[in-house]
Amino acid sequence: MTAAPASPVGTGIGLRQPHYREVFERRPALAFLEVHSENFFLEGGASMHALERARAAYPISLHGVGLSLGSADRLADEHLAKLKRLVDRVEPALVSEHLCWGAVGGVHFNDLLPLPYTAEALALLAERVDRVQAVLQRRLLVENLSAYVACRDSQMTETAFLAELARRTGCGLLLDLNNLYVNAVNFGFDAAERLDALDADMIGQIHLAGHDVVDDCLVDTHGAVVCDPVWALYAQACRRFGPKPTLIEWDTDLPALDVLLQQAAQASGIADREAAHA
Amino acid sequence: MPDLLGFQRDFAAALRDRARTDALAPRLAGAPDAVDRRMAIYRANMVAAADKALSAAYPVIRQVVGEAFFHGLAREYQRGTPSTSGDLTTFGAGFDAFMAAFEHVQDMPWLPDLARLEWAAHRAYGAADAPDWEPAALAAIPPERQDAIRFQWSPGLAVVRSDFPIVRVWTIHQPGFDGAFEVDWARAETALVARDGFAVTVTACPPADATFTESSLAGATLGEAATATLERHPEFDLGALLARAFAARLVCGATT
Repeated sequence: MTAAPASPVGTGIGLRQPHYREVFERRPALAFLEVHSENFFLEGGASMHALERARAAYPISLHGVGLSLGSADRLADEHLAKLKRLVDRVEPALVSEHLCWGAVGGVHFNDLLPLPYTAEALALLAERVDRVQAVLQRRLLVENLSAYVACRDSQMTETAFLAELARRTGCGLLLDLNNLYVNAVNFGFDAAERLDALDADMIGQIHLAGHDVVDDCLVDTHGAVVCDPVWALYAQACRRFGPKPTLIEWDTDLPALDVLLQQAAQASGIADREAAHA
Repeated sequence: MPDLLGFQRDFAAALRDRARTDALAPRLAGAPDAVDRRMAIYRANMVAAADKALSAAYPVIRQVVGEAFFHGLAREYQRGTPSTSGDLTTFGAGFDAFMAAFEHVQDMPWLPDLARLEWAAHRAYGAADAPDWEPAALAAIPPERQDAIRFQWSPGLAVVRSDFPIVRVWTIHQPGFDGAFEVDWARAETALVARDGFAVTVTACPPADATFTESSLAGATLGEAATATLERHPEFDLGALLARAFAARLVCGATT
């Protein structure tokens, strides 16, 4: 595997279509921009042009939502081939996917569905991540999931599963602190404790986002500001792991660009403060 | 005994049909009613993904039928034609056939044709950027070989035939349209969908132009396409069509 380009230390935001023009005109000081890989599985046109403009001004993080690494029956080679083409075209600083499955028996649910954290799943994920890294010729970051159901078959925590996956494959982790917090509330565990299973060199990126509350359940919508407990987790992660590329992730009910920039500035402030205390 | 494939099959069955959760429920932690509420979140996500993907491809139909009805269409379409790919830009190719058969839209018989127009526009949006080409290059081809020319049309170009005024319906639903909204429902229109730079254009295509363009897109030579067109449309003016096509940069190459 060839080494990935140097990681952009600092804070970035998701680049979404309604903000294209403003981002290109204002060129806000950001460490990187992140896009969903699948939105750019296109030959050409306006979206690809926008991505190329963004790439000329910022490092790019390609965040995948459709590869379905954990589908037991098959890995979609045609999807991986499209991702490979995009990676070759964009030369991103970061490439990530999720610890999830999304398709079985030829039907794709286009969602991030939870896995049982078993030895069987770990062996499968390790083989899949090896394959993806071999095809892409670079380190893949794998993200922890927000989930609404948990499998009784699980033999370990998701965090321990990811740490072992990183040891076996050399992949990095995309630590989504909102997802960790959502699951801590939904399933009743201590989010901060889970960080103990992870080493600093495993962490390739951190995601921060907001969520919704529906009845007794936190639902990961990426449609709100980062909540206080997640900011606290972020401070803790900065202390523990040092500065990492950090993303403000926002997908639904997209606000004005300034709201994202304010959240990014808040994240940078926390990271700087923790670095000064280190 | 843990069995990942079995778990995923059970999960999929429960996602697609709330009544089929019996196999899955014992494999999930929590009380059955709590699990049922949590699975409802995934079911809603599944329909939301279909709605979002179809809304991106079919923005005019969404405006025409309204958001709530469109959400229902997305749910019904997904039920019969589930996504097969993690790449949602490819989801919705069969929306026209679905609506042709769906009983609750039979009072809008033009919807399937409008869907084919919007799908062509969706494809054109992400099609490859056309290479630069100058029609002057044709001068290098000797006259006796000009009948054998095969045109390379700009990526995404498509002809969509209809017995309904689909170009008009599309046009009055574009952002920023500020003209009159009258539609002559008796008018049959064939649409030419193309890319002009990064913009997708939809224009009414005269019948003879449609025949020639379809024939040429299907691989016919200039001579073959012109002959086929003249047989059906004696008034066909090849020179005028080529002038229009070259001016709109619809052609981006020619081989013999």
